[in-house]
Amino acid sequence: MLQCIFLLSDSGEVMLEKQLTGHRVDRSICDWFWDHVLSQGDSFKLMPVIASPTHYLFQIVREGITFLACTQVEMAPLMGIEFLCRVADVLTEYLGGLNEDLIKDNFVIVYELLDEMIDNGFPLTTEPNILREMIAPPNIVSKMLSVVTGNTNNMSDTLPGATASCVPWRTTDVKYANNEVYVDLVEEMDATINRDGVLVKCEIYGEVQVNALLSGLPDLTLSFANPSILDDVRFHPCVRFRPWEANQILSFVPPDGQFKLMSYRVKKLKSTPIYVKPQLTSSAGTCRISVMVGIRNDPGKTIDSITLQFQLPPCILSADLSSNHGTVDILTNKMCTWSIGRIPKDKAPALTGTMVLEAGLDCLKVFPTFQLGFRIMGIALSGLQIDKLDLKVVPNRLYKGFRALTRAGEYQVRS
Amino acid sequence: MAPPAQSQRTQSPSQPSGKGEVSDLKTQLRQLAGSRAPGVDDSKRELFKKVISYMTIGIDVSSVFGEMVMCSVTPDIVLKKMCYLYVGNYAKVNPDLALLTINFLQRDCKDQDPMIRGLALRSLCSLRVANLVEYLVGPLGLGLKDSNSYVRTVAVIGVLKLYHISASTCIDEEFPLTLKHLMLNDPDAQVVANCLTALQEIWSAEASNSEDASREREALISKPVIYYFLNRMRVFSEWAQCIVLELVGKYVPSDNNEIFDIMNLLEDRLQHANGAVVLATIKVFLHLTLSMNDVHQQVYERIKAPLLTLVSSGSPEQSYAVLSHLHLLVMRAPFIFASDYKHFYCQYNEPSYVKKLKLEMLTAVANESNTYEIVTELCEYAANVDIPIARESIRAVGKIALQQYDVNAIVDRLLQFLEMEKDYVTAEALVLVKDLLRKYPQWSHDCIAVVGSISSNNVQEPKAKAALIWMLGEYSQEMHDAPYILESLIENWDDEHSAEVRLHLVTAVMKCFFKRAPETQKALGAALSAGLADFHQDVHDRALFYYRLLQYNASVAESVVNPPKQAVSVFADTQSSEIKDRIFDEFNSLSVVYQKPSYMFTDKEHRGPFEFSDELGNLSIGAEAAENVAPALMVEANDKDLLLSTSEKEEIKGPAYNGSAYSAPLYDASSPSVSSLSMQSELAISNPISAGNASPSIFAIDDLLGLVPATAPAPLPPQVKLNSKAALDPGTFQQKWRQLSLALSQDFTISPQGVAALTTPQTLLRHMQGHSIHCIASGGQSPNFKFFFFGQKAEESSNYLVECIINTSSAKAQIKIKADDQTTSQAFSDLFQSALSKFGSS
Repeated sequence: MLQCIFLLSDSGEVMLEKQLTGHRVDRSICDWFWDHVLSQGDSFKLMPVIASPTHYLFQIVREGITFLACTQVEMAPLMGIEFLCRVADVLTEYLGGLNEDLIKDNFVIVYELLDEMIDNGFPLTTEPNILREMIAPPNIVSKMLSVVTGNTNNMSDTLPGATASCVPWRTTDVKYANNEVYVDLVEEMDATINRDGVLVKCEIYGEVQVNALLSGLPDLTLSFANPSILDDVRFHPCVRFRPWEANQILSFVPPDGQFKLMSYRVKKLKSTPIYVKPQLTSSAGTCRISVMVGIRNDPGKTIDSITLQFQLPPCILSADLSSNHGTVDILTNKMCTWSIGRIPKDKAPALTGTMVLEAGLDCLKVFPTFQLGFRIMGIALSGLQIDKLDLKVVPNRLYKGFRALTRAGEYQVRS
Repeated sequence: MAPPAQSQRTQSPSQPSGKGEVSDLKTQLRQLAGSRAPGVDDSKRELFKKVISYMTIGIDVSSVFGEMVMCSVTPDIVLKKMCYLYVGNYAKVNPDLALLTINFLQRDCKDQDPMIRGLALRSLCSLRVANLVEYLVGPLGLGLKDSNSYVRTVAVIGVLKLYHISASTCIDEEFPLTLKHLMLNDPDAQVVANCLTALQEIWSAEASNSEDASREREALISKPVIYYFLNRMRVFSEWAQCIVLELVGKYVPSDNNEIFDIMNLLEDRLQHANGAVVLATIKVFLHLTLSMNDVHQQVYERIKAPLLTLVSSGSPEQSYAVLSHLHLLVMRAPFIFASDYKHFYCQYNEPSYVKKLKLEMLTAVANESNTYEIVTELCEYAANVDIPIARESIRAVGKIALQQYDVNAIVDRLLQFLEMEKDYVTAEALVLVKDLLRKYPQWSHDCIAVVGSISSNNVQEPKAKAALIWMLGEYSQEMHDAPYILESLIENWDDEHSAEVRLHLVTAVMKCFFKRAPETQKALGAALSAGLADFHQDVHDRALFYYRLLQYNASVAESVVNPPKQAVSVFADTQSSEIKDRIFDEFNSLSVVYQKPSYMFTDKEHRGPFEFSDELGNLSIGAEAAENVAPALMVEANDKDLLLSTSEKEEIKGPAYNGSAYSAPLYDASSPSVSSLSMQSELAISNPISAGNASPSIFAIDDLLGLVPATAPAPLPPQVKLNSKAALDPGTFQQKWRQLSLALSQDFTISPQGVAALTTPQTLLRHMQGHSIHCIASGGQSPNFKFFFFGQKAEESSNYLVECIINTSSAKAQIKIKADDQTTSQAFSDLFQSALSKFGSS
């Protein structure tokens, strides 16, 4: 059980404090924590679970905001971390983003939300649908309403019906004039290509995101043309297990609005759409670099937003890089970004340049790792295909939409 | 809305600007309090926001308490919420003012809006002021019977809060029984789940002083209750599922069919989107199948995919927590994960703590089929920008080499490292080559050729330098300039700051001398004289030892320094399997993330009173102190072993034995502790030290002698007679336990009869009661039990408090005694031990 939750700004200031149990956690713990952060260089290097002299701390960082939870008793670590992640998600959704000003402007809402999400240190509900009914989000519509009607109450009058329904993730009476349901396949390709240009690891992590704008209690079934390629799947609580077990059919009553129906993994892919060929040769204190990027396997759709990022090794004093396509930027922290965009038909994009090494160094010994970014609309590279989406009771006006998108996840090319 | 004032971190409540503003607020609030003008709620709201934003940034606004309460008479729910928040924050420090709020909170508890009823009840229970308890009981009772489930959920947690404010009120009002009824009958899943958490906490804490409560706690993990929860699993929220799964993990099914039923029922939980649920399910699976080898294996296979997906899907923070658990499983059953080694490849931009875990897993899963790929991958990290990880990966390569797979390819790689000309890479590689040579002497030819070309000037790190020197000594025959390198190193003796390097230097020169005497003679003389003059005790002693040995007989010296060597077959593991097992028992807890069992990192000093009672219920804590020291010493000893050749091991045996003797479990587990008591009295004659000032060093000396590590009792121990009708309430016990300093801490064995009789904690309690030693709390399951006892002197009210941890599988008991009168604590300890030794025999 958690004893206290703090929200810290990116300068370590306590923006919010929520005591959860009778054992008050003193604010000084935040000072200790912040000193610890500073001593580690940056919060990225910080472990998510830290033992302070008095408490065990869970921390996650989202958009510069640190969510810090304290406990003194043994508990499941993932429960703490997972809960903080949900808090961050819910806040992002409520406030339409996450930053210091938003939290400070809406701290009353944040308090209200935390109050409903956790009591006495035990998480209660983190389901956005239910929370939305208890506490109205501070959106423009409600602001407008309050101006017009003079009623500044951002609380709904009734209790969420869903708390009593057997489908806790869905509110009972949803009504839409147009019934719409959108299914998106969003995939991320993680790949590692080693120094010899061999594809060491290539895997796809995908999500099925659904935006269901349907009246009543719709019962949906979604099936894939080739479910056998999936290696492992995780479901939203709404998915019924047995139909999947027996026939690989997703049968579910969706929550209202946008949600993640399922996530999956496809391993052992054999090829990648893009190749990156880095070459570094060094002699007498300078290093020549040349990187070629091109299409290896045409996915049939345009690949756009191609970027290549790499960190110049610390031993490099200066670098002069240019490219025949796109732009090259070098930041002060020696992070180099080459924005390529789309690959032109007539030439292969190439980045060339020379780098000056530290005095006394003859040749480069630490090599950069290149991180590729790209986006392909309209295709799921894993090959997963949606077969059909059915509703048990078809409403009179129904629109079904399907989309697919693949982007680069951790796509790394070593040199 | 006015943004909250920009605050400085250093801003203190007493800062003048804050104070002025607060008194401003006070006047404004007072003006609004009575007003019924239209729009007054809006201005109130602005003011309340200001007050709370001050509170949030740490300015003390408790002075407006009265005004806030006056203003809170309003139908506006947001105002109410802000007011509840404010009141909850300051009631504890202003108990008198808190009384003011009771009235309006109680009225709100009867509001027609269930939301307001719930909120008011929650705030009422969160006041946490002891003298307001009487006002809580009524609303709570009504809340538990409320028709709205939201109010009931709040009320259930309210009971738990009440329990922590005043346990006796909570019990007297029979709230736990109401909760139990609700838990088994309420239609709302969240109410049921909250009842479960509340009851678990209350009964665990209560179990120590009432048999009823401990029976109730047992009843929670009885078959009907567990099945009741299992069958409703799907209706619970994801967090409630975690709590239920935790409970199911404690249940012991009666037969295998039951185990399979439970696993079938829970299998779909492995695909839940919430990682916490997945991990809790995995824990249940692992623990259920511990006794069934084949199935346990299958469980590993089954949970592999969900775990790997969890690692790749969540945020970095979640991945890390999952990875820590995966790490534990990989270490337990590496072969199962052997085909998934690619999942443990490091990404460039992962934090180093993640990379480190992955490297360890890569090392563990290496086998014949994948070694080549893994080593290739590891070698790429050696050129990594992140230097600690580069080092770690070279070490990993070495460890894999020592695991005996495809050494051929690995040696080549290691030698390539030596040629990379980066000092830290060279340093790590040297240490590895040395270890490798100790295991595979057949590779000496290839290695020495490369090592010989390394200039000792380029090696600065002590460990690497020591390794290089060791090789120079060991293979001086093959490396033809070995004597000269050693000589130049000895010339710089004074610049060498590491004693380890100097120790190795002396030994290496000795070895070299026996192989190539004419070339080394001069260096040996210089080394011995420098060593004799060395201020470091070990270096000095070793030099002196060699000197005397040479004086005595050169051929004996040779046989000591250069004995025929046997290749080391297995290098000792640094973390004992016992610790690993214990961490495994604590799967899905913080222990796994820290890679230490909880007793090693949870410090009782830092636990509040209620964690204390929590601890009584959750007795995963095992023996500490002595065991705690042992692994550390062993690790140290192992490290040294790695570096020194067999001939040198003798020298290190002293300290190493010292370490093991210190932690040695008492040798004869079967001898009843009566005999150990008689030994104590023998010791007392030779060692007449009063128990009061028994210093730790005396323990250590006793330990060294291999005797029972008991403090010597005083020649005439003061007699202690205990009051058979002693009474002490748990609160006082806890308070005393925290206040008093530790008087005695002892380990001893328990007789086999005692172990046999100790099937449940209760048996021992009754026995000890017969000896006027009473139990205040007990818990645990075989083989680990934990008790808190107390005794009271017959004539005066002087108490002895005892924490007693018994492990039945090793027949060991560990007691810690705290006493009001410290001078008699030894006598009490004797009494306690003799009482314990009679357990089971009567």
